[in-house]
Amino acid sequence: MIGDEAFRELVEAVGEENATREPAMLDSYAWQPFLNMSGELWVKRPGAVVLPASTEEVQEVVRACNRHRLTFKALSTGWGAHNGPTREDVVLLDLRRMNRILEIDERNMFAVVQPYVCGGELQAEAWKRGLNTHIVGAGPHCSPLAGATSMHGCGNDSIHMSTSSRNLLGVEWVLPDGELLRVGSPGSGCGWFCGDGPGPSLRGIIRGTSGAFGGFGVFTAAALKLYHWPGPQVIEGRGLILDSTCALPGCCRLYQCAFPSEKACDDAVYRIGEAEIGYLFVRMVASEFLLLLMPHLFRKMVAKGRKLLELINRALPHPFMITLAADTPEELEWQEKVLREIAGSLGGVALNMGDVEAVRRLMGSNLLRCTVFATVFRNGNLFATNLDGNEATDSQYAWTHAMQGPKEEHIKRGGLLEDGGENPYIVQYENNLYGHCETIYFYDHRLPEHLRTLEELAFDTTLAAIEQCNVPLAAFEPVTRGLMSPLACDFNEWQKRISAAFDPAGVSDTGYYTDEREPDWERIPARKAERLRRLQERFGKRGEAEAWKGREP
Amino acid sequence: MALTDYREDMTACVRCSSCKWVPFNQMRSARFSHNCPSIDRYNFHCYSGSGRMNMGLSILEGRSSLNERVSEIIYACQLCGACDVACKTYREVIELTEVLLELRAGCVERGEMPLEHMAAVDALKRENNMLGEPKAERGAWAEELGLKDVNRERAEVILHAGCRYSYDRELWPALRGTVRLLREAGVDLGIAYSEEGCCGGRAYELGYRGEALNFAEDLASRVKASGASVLLTACSDGFAAFRWLYPRMGVRLSARPVHLVQYLDLLVRQGRIRPRKNLDLAATWHDPCHLGRMGEPWMPEWPGDKRERLRCWTRTGRRGVYEEPRRLLLAVPGLELREMERIREWSWCCGAGGGVIDAFPDFAAWTARERLEEAVSTGSDALVTACPWCERLFRDTAGEAGLPIRIYDLSEILLASCGEEVEGL
Repeated sequence: MIGDEAFRELVEAVGEENATREPAMLDSYAWQPFLNMSGELWVKRPGAVVLPASTEEVQEVVRACNRHRLTFKALSTGWGAHNGPTREDVVLLDLRRMNRILEIDERNMFAVVQPYVCGGELQAEAWKRGLNTHIVGAGPHCSPLAGATSMHGCGNDSIHMSTSSRNLLGVEWVLPDGELLRVGSPGSGCGWFCGDGPGPSLRGIIRGTSGAFGGFGVFTAAALKLYHWPGPQVIEGRGLILDSTCALPGCCRLYQCAFPSEKACDDAVYRIGEAEIGYLFVRMVASEFLLLLMPHLFRKMVAKGRKLLELINRALPHPFMITLAADTPEELEWQEKVLREIAGSLGGVALNMGDVEAVRRLMGSNLLRCTVFATVFRNGNLFATNLDGNEATDSQYAWTHAMQGPKEEHIKRGGLLEDGGENPYIVQYENNLYGHCETIYFYDHRLPEHLRTLEELAFDTTLAAIEQCNVPLAAFEPVTRGLMSPLACDFNEWQKRISAAFDPAGVSDTGYYTDEREPDWERIPARKAERLRRLQERFGKRGEAEAWKGREP
Repeated sequence: MALTDYREDMTACVRCSSCKWVPFNQMRSARFSHNCPSIDRYNFHCYSGSGRMNMGLSILEGRSSLNERVSEIIYACQLCGACDVACKTYREVIELTEVLLELRAGCVERGEMPLEHMAAVDALKRENNMLGEPKAERGAWAEELGLKDVNRERAEVILHAGCRYSYDRELWPALRGTVRLLREAGVDLGIAYSEEGCCGGRAYELGYRGEALNFAEDLASRVKASGASVLLTACSDGFAAFRWLYPRMGVRLSARPVHLVQYLDLLVRQGRIRPRKNLDLAATWHDPCHLGRMGEPWMPEWPGDKRERLRCWTRTGRRGVYEEPRRLLLAVPGLELREMERIREWSWCCGAGGGVIDAFPDFAAWTARERLEEAVSTGSDALVTACPWCERLFRDTAGEAGLPIRIYDLSEILLASCGEEVEGL
C-alpha cells in the first residue's frame, strides 16, 4: 500500500478524482492474461493508479515517485501483461486522459499524438487528409505512440509503411527522474519533423530494437510519420467485422498469390519489393483464414485430423495476400501487370480476389484497418505467439519450421489446442528485404494444463531461437532475457547501465526492460535444460560488459 | 443466475479495450470514436466493460470487496450495451451486459446500492411508477381522448404509455397526437388508465429482480385479460423489457410487443397514415439503446461451452430496431436525414439509462451533451428520437447548454407532416 504522504502528493499532482488506492479499482489493472507467460492470469496489483492529463502532471507524479522511492510505470491502451506492474506497490500512470491528436502536418506528412490515441482514430483522421498511418498487426485499438516508443510493431501495412519504430520522429519524454527531454527536432525548437535532430538523437537509447515496455520513463507525445493514401476519406459500409460490407475502395486491388515452392514465394516477395508495389501484405495459409472467420467449423475439421486442412492449404501452397493501391486506374493496372508477371515467372498464380464479391466486401476495412486479426481469440480464448526479430525474408520459412517442433510437442501432450499445423503470420518491410514472422499457439486459459505449458513453451522457443540465431517467443520476458543475454554479448548488462544512467533512483518498473529471472527448473525437463547448457557452453560469451567496467560514457 | 455463473465470461476478457471504442470499421473520426460514457467520463479502467468484469472477478475471488466506492462505480453506468456490442465484434464467449446486471443484483443483495435508487424503488412499490407520481393520475394524459379501457373492454391493441410519458406533461401532446393518428388509421386501441403499471425494466437494471418480476407478472396478466393481440408501447425501455427481459425472466406475454415506431412504419407503408406536408427540416436520428441494441429479442442461454456458441445465438445488437425509424423519417416530404457517426448498434447513449438519471444526474447530462454535440456537428436543425427518457434529458440539456438544436419525438415529426400543429415545425 502506498503511504498516505506519498499518496497525498500524487493526488496533488493529478487531482482527487484522478488517483486511487481502492483495491477493487486497482485490481482492474491487475487482470492481464494475454502474453502472460508465467501461466498466471493476474499480475501484481498496483499500489496506486493515477490519471495525469498533461506532461506537467506526469512530471509531478514521477518526481513524487522519486522523492518517495516509489516504483512507477506508465501504460497507454494497456493490452498485455507487460502493461502491468512487476513489483509490489507500483504507481501506475494510466495515460488515458492524454488522448489527443495534437497536430497533423499534411505537407510534411506526420502527426503528433498523445499516448492514448489509438491507431483507428489516427487513421480515421489521416484518411480525411489523403494520408495513412501504420497500424500494428495487433489491431487498431493499440496506441501508435506506445508501439513506436516502447515496443516493436509490424502489421500487414508494413510493406508500405514499415514498422512502428521506423515511423518515430520527434519525441517528448519524461525521464525516469522527472526531467523533460525533447528528442530530435523538437529538442531544438524546430518542430517535430525529425527524430534525430537538430536536437538530441536518442532513438536508439529510447527503444533499442524492441523498446523498454514502460520501464524507461514516460513518453508523453510523439511525432509519427504518415504515408500517402489514395483512397476515400471514409470507407462506407455496414457491419462490424465478420458481417462487414466496408469493401475495398476502387483504388485498391486484392490478390491472393500462391507458389510451387518456398523459394519461389520468397523470390516473388523480393521482386515485389524491388518493383516497389504493394500497400498491404500478409502471408497466411488458407486454413488460418478459416480459423479466424469460422472457428467452429475449423475445430470440427481438426477434430477429424489434419488431412482436410492440409488439402485446403495444398490448394493454395506457399501463399500470400497482397493489396495494391494507386492514384490512377493506369497506375493500378500497371501494378497488377507487374504482380501477375512476377507470379507467372516463378510458376505461381495471382488471383484477383475482387472477383469474389464476398471476399471483396469482407476484406476492405478489415485489412486496411487491421481489424480482422484480433478475431484470433475466437478459437481458443487465448493465444501466444513467438516473436520473430527483424530478419531476412528468406529466413522466415526456416523460422516457421523451427517453431513448429515445440508446438507439436505440446499439442500432442494436450498442453495446447490443436491448430492444424504450421500457421505463420508473416509481414514484410524495408522493400521486402525483412520479414516479421509469428507462429501462433492457441490455448484455453481455463485449463490448468494449458497454463502450465506456457513457461516450458517459452523455454522451448528460446532454445529453438538460439539455434536459429533469432528472437524467441517472449523476448521481453525476464526468464527469456536471462537465458539470451549471455549468448548475445551480455546485451542486458548494457541495458541495465543505460537504465541506471537515466534512472539514478531506480524507480522505473524495469520488469520487462532489464529484469532477469531463473526459469522454474522443476517445470523444465532435464533433457531440455541440458540442451540449453550445451548451447551456452558453445555460444555463451560472458563478461563482455564486465570488461568495459569503468568506461561508461 | 448469479455472478458466479459468469465467471468464465469474466475470465475470457483479455483486456484488449475494444469495449471502449466504437467498432473499428465504423470509426470515422477521433472526436466521436468512443462508445462508453462511463469510461469516457471517469477514465479509470474499472469504469469500462472490461474493467467492471475484472473488478467483478476480483470480488468473486475474494481479492477485494464490495463497498460504497465500488458500488458507486458499478452504478455509474447506463447499461447502454455499447461495450457488449464492441466486445462481440471479436468474441462470442462474453455476455458483458449480463455480468454488469449480476454485479448490480449482488449490490442489492448486500445492501450496497445508491440511496436515490432505493427511493425510486420505494416509489415504484408505492405508486407503480419510477417517478413517484400518484398512481391514480397514470391515465390523465389520455383524458378526453375517449380511449377504450382495457380493464373493461376488449381492444385489438393495448397501448402501454410507460412511466415517463404518463407523467411528463411536456411530452403529452406528442402521445395524444399519435393516438389520434392511430385511431384515424383505424386501429382498435385501448389503455389500462390508472391500472397501467411500470414495466419493471428499470427495477431489473437497478438490481431489484423480485420487484421487476412482480411488475412483469402483473402486466402480463393484464395483457392476457385484455385479449389484445398487440402490446404497443411508446417507451423504448418498456419495449426492451417486453422483448428481452420478460422471456428472460420466464414471463410470457400473450400479445406481440411492438414499439410505436414499428407500428407507425407499418401504417405508413400500408398507406393508412400519409405524411404530406413539406417540413423543410434537416434532422438527425438518435437510436435509443433500448430500441436498438438492447431491444433485441431474447435468446435462451447457450447450453454448454460458450466457445461453441454460434454467432447467431449471441446478443450482438444487430437485431434491434434501426430501419423503421429511418424509413419513417425518409417518408416525410422535405426532411433530410443527416446521420451522426455513432448510430445503430454502435450508437452513443443519451445518458439516462441504468438509473444514472436518478443517482448521477450530472453524469447523465454530461453524456447527453456529448450526444447533442455530435448531433450539432451534422448541421441538423433537430435531433429526433423515440424514447421519452432520451427526449426529456436531451431537452433539458440542450436548453441548459443553449445548444442550437431542437429535440423532437418521431411521432411529432409525423404529426406535423400529417398537418397537425407542432411547435417549431
